[in-house]
Amino acid sequence: MGTGRRVSLYRAGTPPKKPSSFPKSSLPKFSLPKPPRAASHLPPPCSPPPPEARTPSPPSLGRPPPPGRPRSPRQEPGAAMAARGGERGRSRGAAQAPRHRRRRPPAACGARRGRGWAGPDVSALPRGAAMAAKSPADGTPRRPVLSVSARKIKDNAADWHNLMMKWERLNDNGFTTANKIVNMKISEQFQDNKLEIACDNSATESEKPAPKYNEELDKCCAELLETLKHMTKIQLKMEKLSSTTKGICDLETFHHRAGNCPAPLFHTWPTPYFYEVSLKLSEMYKKELQLKKTIVEEIAHSADQDLMMVYLSSWLYQPYIDNSSKLLLEAMLLETGHRQC
Amino acid sequence: MAAAAAVMAAALREWAAVAARQEAARREALASWEPLLVSLAGLAEQLRAARRLAWGSSPLGAFGELRERLWRKQRGAAEALLEQLGRRREELRALRDAVGTGAASVLRVYEENAAELGLAETLRRGARRPSLADVLEGLQDVERYYRHLYLESKLLLLSISCDSLEDMEALPQAWKRILERYEEDTVQDVLFKVSLYLDNQ
Repeated sequence: MGTGRRVSLYRAGTPPKKPSSFPKSSLPKFSLPKPPRAASHLPPPCSPPPPEARTPSPPSLGRPPPPGRPRSPRQEPGAAMAARGGERGRSRGAAQAPRHRRRRPPAACGARRGRGWAGPDVSALPRGAAMAAKSPADGTPRRPVLSVSARKIKDNAADWHNLMMKWERLNDNGFTTANKIVNMKISEQFQDNKLEIACDNSATESEKPAPKYNEELDKCCAELLETLKHMTKIQLKMEKLSSTTKGICDLETFHHRAGNCPAPLFHTWPTPYFYEVSLKLSEMYKKELQLKKTIVEEIAHSADQDLMMVYLSSWLYQPYIDNSSKLLLEAMLLETGHRQC
Repeated sequence: MAAAAAVMAAALREWAAVAARQEAARREALASWEPLLVSLAGLAEQLRAARRLAWGSSPLGAFGELRERLWRKQRGAAEALLEQLGRRREELRALRDAVGTGAASVLRVYEENAAELGLAETLRRGARRPSLADVLEGLQDVERYYRHLYLESKLLLLSISCDSLEDMEALPQAWKRILERYEEDTVQDVLFKVSLYLDNQ
């Protein structure tokens, strides 16, 4: 690759932000199709909102709401309140970013709460009874009542989805920045080469200009570091999700130590499989983060255009995140009921 | 004979309306090829850079399997692009088929009315009016145009291989050359001819 020749990322006439030569944008992106009424995908475990209270599709999967916690009118306008006869809806709409953590048990699990909350209750009731309670008034089937473990796993699945979406966004942003850095490096190299030719022709050594401090490059590097920092945080959260799932598995094992085979928490997955999947995903992102760290450390110091191209390509395609990650996530969302069959 | 001429005119009018829509669809379909081919060319450059890189001595040398994994991802991206190009090709094929069907139906109408129209009327040409034979020839030109365009695009796609990165990198240029051959306004010329025929009957 000749000096000064821009690699495919900087093809003349292409916008600098997202090079057309990278086909990522033309690939099916990992994003959830917005369901028409996504709140129905994420019902509060024990107190489902009436259909009128459902909010428009969310940008991300919401965690089930903190039961008993009053909902601010900003979160769920009019409809919920009207549907509940003026009482504020208990459910936080899925359209809201589900960032707050639920640490209290659901209000609808009143029987258990009456005894006082003493940690998660893993007494998964038989699915027939626990998962398909009937409304006493009209006999219509109600939303499944999940055990605490199941709710936690369901929360984790939503968190996995949200974290992976955030990661993808950060990856796109980081790629844009990395691309800028490589562009700058190449144009610098090109300028340097021109200067060298000019200096060879000039008379004295003292006429050689000193290398300039590139403020823009510095800014981009800082930006990339910031992106990496966010990614690191996400990866740590992913690890925490895995360890939480492991905890739930241990709890389930402890609970069923007598030998009675535990029923699946949702449809078919045994509880340890959630941990397996979480661990797999977590490991993928861990390795990918390590690779990204190396890229961030080296990208602005490399002079080899092939290497720079490989850095960019590796950043974009995330080789350590297998394509199966999306499948695993979707399977988990399907199993936990975030997705409908 | 007037009745036969009217039937022919109606058939041609219908063909022209459909052909104008198909022409717009063709332009749209062709425009969607270029970004995909440019992306493929970029991908070929990336594959080449990964192939040329001395991985062992690079900071990426510590990452086991990275080379293979990256290669797999890049191949996957290339395959996804090829799939999209395949869909674009199908669009061209559908257009070709539709154009062929349209031209065939007009020719059938002519054959049904040929005896009544007579050879003299078919060949009659004025200063501002092409003959019916000219118009029918134009229809066949359009049909041929679409057929060749489809075949060229199909050939181009068949020639793409991830093992031949140089060819892949040259795809945008190859596509440009194809478009240059087909940029003449064959369809527009024929549409113009048809409208002259219909307006000056």
